[in-house]
Amino acid sequence: MTERAKVPVSPADIASPTVYLDGIPHEGFAAIRAVDGLVWHPYGDEGDRSGFWAVTRHADVREVSKNPEAFSSAIGHTNLWDLEADALEARRSLIDSDAPDHTRLRRVVSKAFTPRTTRTWEGMARDIAAELVEGYAAEGGGDWVEKVAAPLPIRVILAILGVPAEDAEYMVELTNHLVEGTGEGSSLPEDAYGNTTPTRLLPFNSPASHALYEYAEKMRRLRMDQSGDDLVTSLLEAEADGERLTAAEYRNFFQLLVFAGNETTRTAMIHGAMAFAEHPDQWARLQADPSLVTTAVDEVIRWASPILHMRRTASRDVELAGTEIAEGDKVVMWYAGANRDPEVFDDPYAFDVGRADNPHYAFGGGGPHFCLGAFLARMEVQVLLEEMLARDVVLELCSSPVRQASNFVHGVSSVELAVA
Amino acid sequence: MSAPDEERVSMAVDEDRCIGIGQCELLEPDVFRLGDEDAISRVVDGVGLARSRALELVDRCPSGAISIVEPVA
Repeated sequence: MTERAKVPVSPADIASPTVYLDGIPHEGFAAIRAVDGLVWHPYGDEGDRSGFWAVTRHADVREVSKNPEAFSSAIGHTNLWDLEADALEARRSLIDSDAPDHTRLRRVVSKAFTPRTTRTWEGMARDIAAELVEGYAAEGGGDWVEKVAAPLPIRVILAILGVPAEDAEYMVELTNHLVEGTGEGSSLPEDAYGNTTPTRLLPFNSPASHALYEYAEKMRRLRMDQSGDDLVTSLLEAEADGERLTAAEYRNFFQLLVFAGNETTRTAMIHGAMAFAEHPDQWARLQADPSLVTTAVDEVIRWASPILHMRRTASRDVELAGTEIAEGDKVVMWYAGANRDPEVFDDPYAFDVGRADNPHYAFGGGGPHFCLGAFLARMEVQVLLEEMLARDVVLELCSSPVRQASNFVHGVSSVELAVA
Repeated sequence: MSAPDEERVSMAVDEDRCIGIGQCELLEPDVFRLGDEDAISRVVDGVGLARSRALELVDRCPSGAISIVEPVA
């Protein structure tokens, strides 16, 4: 097969983790969206082999999402960097699979995350949100991440999993280390948490994944002795096509649920709070008309775009947006770009809590990998906003956020806010 | 939005493709219901939907499991 020329080359860098220390490079995304067809973005140090096609327009993200036969999640990694076959296999989860494996794995957990099941968690989430907001307001503010945005979603997902609430801080510590793995690399020594596995075989190349695997195993033993009415028990007892999950499938599922159930929703809550602090007119509008809360929730999530991208790998030669993509090429969907596409969003850079037509792709572009926790995340953001509204909490920005160098999670490690 | 005199069509779910996300039940709870045990979507109402709304449901299903069967007589 003759290698096709990889042109045009991207007019902006959207892949270097350090770019995100200044926030999402919206001007760069705009420049890329304006180029006809797709642009080729260099990445890594192996020349054309490690670069990727940057998909930044809303319509193109959708086309990739909805065509998993051509744009595979299983044959390459779903992050930008490449993995050897054994490393890919060791970390294989729902995220890194195609049908029929994906269908089988998804069905093991789908019931726990439907809109109807999600409503049954609302009271629990509201109680946690009320407690955190009250404490935060009583102290007059502080680090919003540490005091509200991190504890709320981790406590909710741990309650759903059946993990003791007192381990919430440990779980946050571990998943924070995983985010480092998508940036400049782990700050941990290889043998942290007693790890003996080569880190290239661990999710996010992080020894913190070893700690999560160990914790998953501890939960497995607990639930084998005494089953509970929780998601860990469901994972262990589930039979998909007559077979239980393998040990590796179970621990990767556990790790995925703990990671995705907290880092993402946390990120939405951080950017949401910052957006309301920076746009007090929008908070006042919501206070005046709380019925806007449902559109406000989706606007917060669009604004935040917590997961910046997901990668696919072309399973065959295929055309997208007039560009010829060769089998094996990386194709990367940048939700952060699609969510500001002026072809779809009126005044895309405005934070508008009443935005009625808001088909954002923060939960993915509408294909089978649609975010498992989408309804849970929406519910959590909604109860947070409602509990703030109920207490007339008005947030003010005290300092610039400390952003994370990650091209995968739109992460903020801390941000000081005050309650006016 | 559908015109009042718009043709109504009935829907079908391919149970082998459905992965139980629940978008359909959220959008049209009178037409789709996820199984209590298996979270697989099934059509529970034969009245159908206006064709434009039906097309939207087909489009919004992430797993491509929903299709339009035939016009309702």
